[in-house]
Amino acid sequence: MTLDDPLPRSFDGLASRVDATGFRSVAFTSALAGEGVSTIALGTALSLVALRSEAVLLIDANWIQPSLTEDAQLASAPGLADCLAGNTDAASAIRPGSRSRPAFLPIGDRTAARPTLRSLASLLTRDLANYSTAIVDLPPVLAGESFVLSWAALVDQVLVVLREASTPLPQVREALGKLGNATNAQIVLNRTVPQSGSATAALRAVRT
Amino acid sequence: MRPYLATARRYWWVLVMVLAIIWGAGLVAGYVEYASTYSSEATVWVHRAPQDLGAANPDEPNLPLLQTSASQQADLLNQLLQTKSFLRDVVRKTALGPSIEAQTDDGAALDAIAKHFKVQALGTNLISVSYAAHDPRTARDMVVAALAVRGERVAAAGTAATTAVSTLYQKELDLAEGKAVAAQQAIDEFNASHSGDLSSTDQEEWARLRLTLDLANVRVMDLRNRIDQAALAPAILDMSGLEFQVVDEPREEGAPHGGTRPALTLAGVAFIAGLALAALLVAIGTVLVDHVAGPADLVRLGPARLFATVPRVGRAGGTSRDLRAMLAAVAFADGRPDAEATKT
Repeated sequence: MTLDDPLPRSFDGLASRVDATGFRSVAFTSALAGEGVSTIALGTALSLVALRSEAVLLIDANWIQPSLTEDAQLASAPGLADCLAGNTDAASAIRPGSRSRPAFLPIGDRTAARPTLRSLASLLTRDLANYSTAIVDLPPVLAGESFVLSWAALVDQVLVVLREASTPLPQVREALGKLGNATNAQIVLNRTVPQSGSATAALRAVRT
Repeated sequence: MRPYLATARRYWWVLVMVLAIIWGAGLVAGYVEYASTYSSEATVWVHRAPQDLGAANPDEPNLPLLQTSASQQADLLNQLLQTKSFLRDVVRKTALGPSIEAQTDDGAALDAIAKHFKVQALGTNLISVSYAAHDPRTARDMVVAALAVRGERVAAAGTAATTAVSTLYQKELDLAEGKAVAAQQAIDEFNASHSGDLSSTDQEEWARLRLTLDLANVRVMDLRNRIDQAALAPAILDMSGLEFQVVDEPREEGAPHGGTRPALTLAGVAFIAGLALAALLVAIGTVLVDHVAGPADLVRLGPARLFATVPRVGRAGGTSRDLRAMLAAVAFADGRPDAEATKT
């Protein structure tokens, strides 16, 4: 499968909006587990790689269930937690990307450190400044609020993923309430019925 | 699955209350059933089943059943307990009789009574008959009454069979006596018409008539003996008590006994019903819960706005796990994001 296949291009709509708004750092989270956050972060990163001719970094910051790190088979590799703990530098922890793949920062040893506002700010401004776009996979707000809020204060945009006709509204309201109004979180509606006529193809055509 | 778990977490107190009520009611009912059930049991030594009421395979009536005496008698008693007339006679002999007879439709009550009886073979010649009731005296009376009515039925059946046989023999006796009288008349007429010495031909005729008379008399005597035997045999067998001997008489139990199975059944049903109702509530709660039906519904989330939608990916036989695996294969190239860069 390549980026020309229809599956990765399912995220082109979302990636093109990120691209159009000029966000450099976007964090994906949800109210409950199982909403498809990691899949959307992964798909969006792949689509952004194709849309932007700049380096895209995918960060697995899901302290509760780091499924992207497991997909990459990097569970024992140094990663984000080790960088925050000062055990390693980001340059050696990040797996470089290519013209068709995003760079990837795995979770690392989750017991080494927890994400704090200061450590994350330092990491983003000093070590990750080389990457023009950072896509962050976060745990569900209601299950891992402490892992989410520090990221929410630093990234350009927090996107809350919810599944159409599935995610209970009370849980979504509760999650948005925890994120707070200052975060200005927006919604990504997952697994919607496909609409005919997407603006994505037109946008890609213009950019190429 | 996760929406259901979310609903269960959200309404956990409702589920706990429902389970507490149903399970609590089941436990209480089970305890009451156990603590208020008295069972009385009689042990009976059986010799053979009465031939007139013997069991047969209902599917293959001509196929002989290989049964022990105990299983035959147990089957017979179980069959009798399935008939309402038998149960009416049993109930009539107990204190429950007036209340059952007062009902216009006693079928349901008799069916309920039948379920409280338990007949089982304990060995080749031993059966037990028990009855479970909420009153120890009723339990004992029902067992005593069942055994008594069974005896009456067997005796009645034996009498009916004896009457039928006696009637048949009586008809044959009348016929045989008629033949004997006719033979005697023939000899008398022969004697009257022949005086003095008889010729050889007459002697043969006289001998033939005499033989006919003797045979008729023997037949009459034989039939009279059979009639006597038919009338006496069941009475002798019944008096000897060989067929059905109550070894242990039913007693009034002082402590609750015999309600374990109903109590466990009640508790089990309540347990399963509680789980089923809880699952139903969770399912209904999940279906009816307020969720986002589409992009237009997002206005209900206040200031949060829709940023983008991700369509449901449809591929023949594909699932979200397949999509994730495909994306991971593209992004991580067999687990190494830098695999392509390394190769090149």
